[in-house]
Amino acid sequence: MTLSVALGPDTQESTQTGTVTSTDALTAPDIPWNLVIWNDPVNLMSYVSYVFQSYFGYSEPKANKLMMEVHKKGRSIVAHGSKEQVEQHAVAMHGFGLWATVEKATGGGKDGGSGKGKGKRG
Amino acid sequence: MAKAFKYGLKGITGYLEPAERELLRSLIDDVISMLEPAESASEDPLTALIGLDMNVQEPSDRALRRLLPNVTRTDDAAALEFRQLTERSLRENKIGALRAAALGLDTNDVVLSPADARHWSQALNDVRLVLAERLDIRDDADAEHVHTMQDWSQAEDVESYLALVYNFTTWLQESLVQAMLQSMEPRA
Repeated sequence: MTLSVALGPDTQESTQTGTVTSTDALTAPDIPWNLVIWNDPVNLMSYVSYVFQSYFGYSEPKANKLMMEVHKKGRSIVAHGSKEQVEQHAVAMHGFGLWATVEKATGGGKDGGSGKGKGKRG
Repeated sequence: MAKAFKYGLKGITGYLEPAERELLRSLIDDVISMLEPAESASEDPLTALIGLDMNVQEPSDRALRRLLPNVTRTDDAAALEFRQLTERSLRENKIGALRAAALGLDTNDVVLSPADARHWSQALNDVRLVLAERLDIRDDADAEHVHTMQDWSQAEDVESYLALVYNFTTWLQESLVQAMLQSMEPRA
């Protein structure tokens, strides 16, 4: 039953799929940006965790894990999104007094190549 | 002596002596005057309204640069462009939190709503960032060195006085944030 219905309007289906694909291609380049938080000797660990919990809505364990990564590795990627989204987050972080920057997620090598933020400053 | 902030039935409460409130008020006023934009008389009201500021440059003062950091480390032109679009409203946001915190400094007993507490924590953080730049705190070792200054009878010069003030604001912010974290925990 499902099969026969699916086979019916074959040509129409494929045209629709084509349209959807091209929309995806238009929005895709905006996606891979990272919000990076940098370590500094002033901000309290408790405060950084509080900001991650209250602003991003992260659970306490997740907020603490990211905070420890900032503290120990010097930096941590705490959010992903479109350029506009992570820029908005960065301004909010600056409002809280955290040191935040945005960077392209991968490729390029333009941003120092520490795309995943793991094991670089260990 | 001030008492640490606590979370209880009345919300987040603390206690500050008049001299401590006076100290905090002057620290907050200092940061506000750093953040207030210099020019305002001869500018386009429309650009001011939407928060655009094409004259803005990266601040030369290190403390101000820490309060208003570049949004990218790798592209100065992009960082400046972003600054032109956002720095004015970031300054206003910070000044708003600092002013709100200063308003709560009128009585010894401090009772904070959740919004007050957020403003206080932001204000104390900005005050500490500025003090830390004046004290040249560059890494954790510097921070620990400053932290050893705890005795007010040792305050003999500007630097030791600043260190004591920094440690007081650090202690106050830590107790406030602990109370705030406690207030966020789901209560069974």
